Amino acid sequence: MKIPQRKHIIKEFKGQGGKVAAVLPIHYPRALFRAFSILPVEVWGPPGIDSSYGGTHLQAYICSIVHNALSFLKTGGLDEADFILIPHTCDSLQGLGSVLIDFVRPPQQVLTLYLPRSKGKTDYEFLANEIRRIYNRLSEITGLHPDDTAIFKAIKIEENADRTLAELYSKRQMFTLDNLDFYRLIRTREFLPAEHFIDMAQSVLSLLNEEKLNGVPIILSGIVPEPMEVMSALNEMGACVVADDLACCGRRLYQSGSSTDPFQRLSENIFSAAPDPTRGDSLQDRIDYLKGLVNKSKAKGVIFYDVKFCEPELFDLPDLRKALKGEGVPSLTLEVDINDPISNQMLTRIETFMEVIK
Amino acid sequence: MNIASHIKYFVNVQVGARSYIRLKRRQGARKPRIPLNWNTKCLAPPLKIDGLTKELIALHYLSGRYADGRKSVAWVTSGAPVEILQALGYYVLYPENHAAVCGVKRKVVEIAGEAENAGYSRDICSYARTDIGAMLSGKSAVGQLPKPDLLLACTNICQTVLHWYRVLAHHFDIPLITIDTPFIYTESSDADIKYVKRQLEDSIPVAEQACSRRLKYKKLQDVLKMSKDASELWLQIMQRGRHRPAPISAFDQFIQMAPIVEMRGKSATVDFYAALLREVDERIEKGIGAVVHERKRLLWDNLPIWYRLRYLAEYLGERGIAVVASTYTNAWGELAPFMDENRPIESMAKTYIHPILNRSTGSKLETMKKMSEDFHLNGVILHSDRSCKPYSIGQIDQRNKLIREYGIPALLLEADHNDPRSFSEEQTASRLDAFVEMLEN
Repeated sequence: MKIPQRKHIIKEFKGQGGKVAAVLPIHYPRALFRAFSILPVEVWGPPGIDSSYGGTHLQAYICSIVHNALSFLKTGGLDEADFILIPHTCDSLQGLGSVLIDFVRPPQQVLTLYLPRSKGKTDYEFLANEIRRIYNRLSEITGLHPDDTAIFKAIKIEENADRTLAELYSKRQMFTLDNLDFYRLIRTREFLPAEHFIDMAQSVLSLLNEEKLNGVPIILSGIVPEPMEVMSALNEMGACVVADDLACCGRRLYQSGSSTDPFQRLSENIFSAAPDPTRGDSLQDRIDYLKGLVNKSKAKGVIFYDVKFCEPELFDLPDLRKALKGEGVPSLTLEVDINDPISNQMLTRIETFMEVIK
Repeated sequence: MNIASHIKYFVNVQVGARSYIRLKRRQGARKPRIPLNWNTKCLAPPLKIDGLTKELIALHYLSGRYADGRKSVAWVTSGAPVEILQALGYYVLYPENHAAVCGVKRKVVEIAGEAENAGYSRDICSYARTDIGAMLSGKSAVGQLPKPDLLLACTNICQTVLHWYRVLAHHFDIPLITIDTPFIYTESSDADIKYVKRQLEDSIPVAEQACSRRLKYKKLQDVLKMSKDASELWLQIMQRGRHRPAPISAFDQFIQMAPIVEMRGKSATVDFYAALLREVDERIEKGIGAVVHERKRLLWDNLPIWYRLRYLAEYLGERGIAVVASTYTNAWGELAPFMDENRPIESMAKTYIHPILNRSTGSKLETMKKMSEDFHLNGVILHSDRSCKPYSIGQIDQRNKLIREYGIPALLLEADHNDPRSFSEEQTASRLDAFVEMLEN
């Protein structure tokens, strides 16, 4: 399977007169940007770069995703971007947004999006207003004013892409793709235009294997599976990641909305995703969701793969693990800095865990 | 609310606790007012009001200890809009304040260790670890904490409290009210304030149901008026730090801020700060400075280092340096003008969306610059607090701007507000020495 490279996609999109927005984790209204001919390209770190540039603004106890994003920006990694969107996901991303606006002042326009922490009617309406605010800001900057029809056209394409993503997940065990290839495919959603993603996913879906994939079924939970070598390591140890509760992947299986107002519809989409601590979902909701994933996928164990210093994940770990243990589901926690290679110690821990659940 | 619990409360709190406090007061009166280990060469004697502060805090925690069955109990975050709960008659406990008391009493390693043993990472906030440890083990520096009937978390200080209170809600299986305050990157919009106002309105029936009482509008107005009065007095007290020598230091303020944090909206709190203001004014009249030979004046940014308050006060005091103001203590006074008992809910929305921790890094820099001018300061210590990311992110740029653009010496001091394992005395001393030398030059 040939995965397109980000830089080629960006170049192609810009060559057609489009613009690019670098988007930080986790939730945002993709379709709104597409309605302005802006391609959202997500920035989850990236891993394996010189993070010391971020250290001129951020303390060492800030997570490596935020450190790397700032380092990437400062070393020209986001030069192709016309905008930077920072959703208000956590204290560290809040701080990054504020430091960019007040001190770093990059050449790109910095946009922020506040995501509500509850799910009542008031919160839906607030988020719809926030999305409308970004619409107005993009209109001011670009001089474009896409009407409701144009926004809905983009919404329909993104909803179709989300349904295709959900189909890939639901048929995970029927692919011959190994963990690395499957997640490389899933993660193209972070930068491919939705229509390209649908085409690529459909071509994979047409090659379904009747036989189930061999391997011990497990679930990954956390923010982002970086460095991606962890997927190769899991292949080698005979694990098959059959489902995930990763912020960059399974936690963003958005449902199609029903509202006829485009801003309400985009708000609905974001609220429809799986329970997420950064949106204030309760621990019980997370526990129920994880148990449901385990039952549905028949996973034998759960690996919590967390980025060091990530409070939203770290607070929930003890109760999630306790609840899984109560159901007889073993779990393992791994803590990573996305710049570090997978250590031997980590490999040994995964190996031991796999032995236990086999 | 049964009769037995009323009697138990009356006997233990109204009779027992008050008698105990009177006894301690009499014992205290026989003791020298200045503790034997107090460094009188560099620091003024402790404030006379210290005894009353201890009594207020002790009575507050004792009331909580016997609240079960008599009063509904709410656990709330330190910057939460507490007036609705006070007006409904809740006993209100601030876990952050409890954690800070554990910090001052050097109990954190033991209590937070209980949370760490249960799987909570040392990378999460040390206040949260302390309180989760207390919740799991029953250990505390103040006796037994009452079980909550309701939780109130306001995100105006950090997102950490949201994650922390979700854990509490799961553990106690009780309702959690979240008041979500959009972060102010530039300025707050009408939509932001309307959003907070609607959440406050939505919270009322939940809080009423949890205590089986109806909110009386007049009572809410009275409580808000008392919050405003106490906050204004607190602001005046802090502003007395503009005098030379400053009659009260930031280290004194860290101790004396307890009532404005955990007893806002009560008449006793207003009386307390009126008395403290009188004492501070008396010091000004007599020319008493918090530091005996005040030569240089500093601003403290971020939370205090609770387990090293005296050490830092003496270390700097011995060198003639008075820390006369703090962005942290200022936060509980600077919002007083927003409070308006004639429009309680709307003014609470405006008040509680604007704390320093919910404002941008640039706004915090402006606050520091303004305070440096108003208080005639010689420099700023920015406590880079491992446990408080929203307060600490931006400090590197703030320090650089203070030095390079405003010509204000500034020091970034690495530590943790509650966990002594993240504090190095040797490193702190050498950094402070170098900073003091720079101030002298």
